[in-house]
Amino acid sequence: MFKSKSSKLALILFLAMSMLLAACGKGEKASTGGSSKNALEQIKDKGKIVIGVKYDTRLFGLKNPTSGEVEGFDIDISKELAKAILGDEKKVEFKEVTSKTRIPMLNNGDIDAIVATMTISEERKKEVDFSDVYFMAGQSLLVKKGSPIKGLKDLKKGTKVLAVKGSTSAINIREKAPEATVLEYENYTEAFTALKSGQGDALTTDDAILYGMVDQDPKYQLVGGTFTEEPYGIAVKKGNKELVDAINDALKKMKESGKYDEIKNKWIKTN
Amino acid sequence: MDIAGALSADHLKFLADGFMVTLYIAFISIVLSFIVGILLGTLRYAKIPVVSKIVAVIIETIRNTPLLLIIFFTFFALPEVGIKLSVTVAAILALTVFESAMLAEIVRGGLNSIDKGQIEAARSSGLTYIQTLWHIVMPQALRRMIPPIVSQFISLLKDTSLCVIIALPEFMHNAQIIYAQNVNYIFPIFFVVALMYFIVNYCLSLIARRLESKQA
Repeated sequence: MFKSKSSKLALILFLAMSMLLAACGKGEKASTGGSSKNALEQIKDKGKIVIGVKYDTRLFGLKNPTSGEVEGFDIDISKELAKAILGDEKKVEFKEVTSKTRIPMLNNGDIDAIVATMTISEERKKEVDFSDVYFMAGQSLLVKKGSPIKGLKDLKKGTKVLAVKGSTSAINIREKAPEATVLEYENYTEAFTALKSGQGDALTTDDAILYGMVDQDPKYQLVGGTFTEEPYGIAVKKGNKELVDAINDALKKMKESGKYDEIKNKWIKTN
Repeated sequence: MDIAGALSADHLKFLADGFMVTLYIAFISIVLSFIVGILLGTLRYAKIPVVSKIVAVIIETIRNTPLLLIIFFTFFALPEVGIKLSVTVAAILALTVFESAMLAEIVRGGLNSIDKGQIEAARSSGLTYIQTLWHIVMPQALRRMIPPIVSQFISLLKDTSLCVIIALPEFMHNAQIIYAQNVNYIFPIFFVVALMYFIVNYCLSLIARRLESKQA
């Protein structure tokens, strides 16, 4: 970052002005941390838990333009968490995250937890703390019906596989099918549109998301079963053992009471 | 393709909400970068020892860096040094920083295009350097700058769509959410998005043309 010195100078200059803007009312204030209380106590003091969720992923977290609400599996799980921790499922505030922004936003204190189709990985464990697995997905392939691709072994040299940026599935497919060309798109809809318009031969991501696509266009099907395990976890800022324990406790109770299965069956249809 | 489904009243309203955010962000960034751009451009033009050199380095650094990187910088890097900005402020800051540098060069070019003889004439008739700049050079230069400045504003309005990367709820972002509902919505939505950008930007061009002909 050899250029940052002078741009910093400029930034400081403009910062004062932006602060003024924020004061003028439109800018939302970021939540402040830094007190001696642990994260769980802070959430209880605030009386609400702020959760980062996806706004653009079918079945897990998708904003409904008609109602203005975000809907999906991750959303219902978050509401249950709020119910378990704060006694009321309405005491949850959703903030939009993407695969790129979720960890920085968590570490800045903008959100208390991430419930956003996030796979637990060793790499990510260095940056955040994860709860127990709350959803087990597996990576699979989506192709047009009648495609010669029947599984991983058919992803030969010259085959184009479509994936989504910033996701573990893009990394996995490079390992599992090193000869295939991997093209990465911004989000799932764009990747699926690319598949439909013939930009690629197969689309790869977690099976639960692929089933959502088949639901929209039955001319496509999943092939080859799942070839990875993608355990989704709820992430919190590092070192917040109390909050992780509270979340795990809530998940356990959800599973025992049957609420978990109810939510899962509502959103995830495997055929 | 599902045109009726894609362009339902609710979806259009949701798109309009996003468009208002785009206009709001663009408007504030335009006002701020116009002020800062004129200031920086004039400082660089005036050849003040040290100051003009520093300003030149700042302008060149920003101007030759992609806007996307500057957006990343204000949203991801500033919090590392303890400066936390909301998505809206981070977007406005990034756009203002970038567009100011672009405008500064337009301003300097405009000022340079004014014949030096005029400055000498003004100075010898007793005006100070600042007075000369303010009353003689700047008004003429601004008139010449209108076309490039307006096209810079048009770029700025379109560039707000890059803020989709930090999940600013602007026009393009809301469009993406709508076509995430159903993949068959993607092309009708793209068409509407393109049309809206075109209408607003074309209006900007028309205003600029009117301004030019009035002043000529």
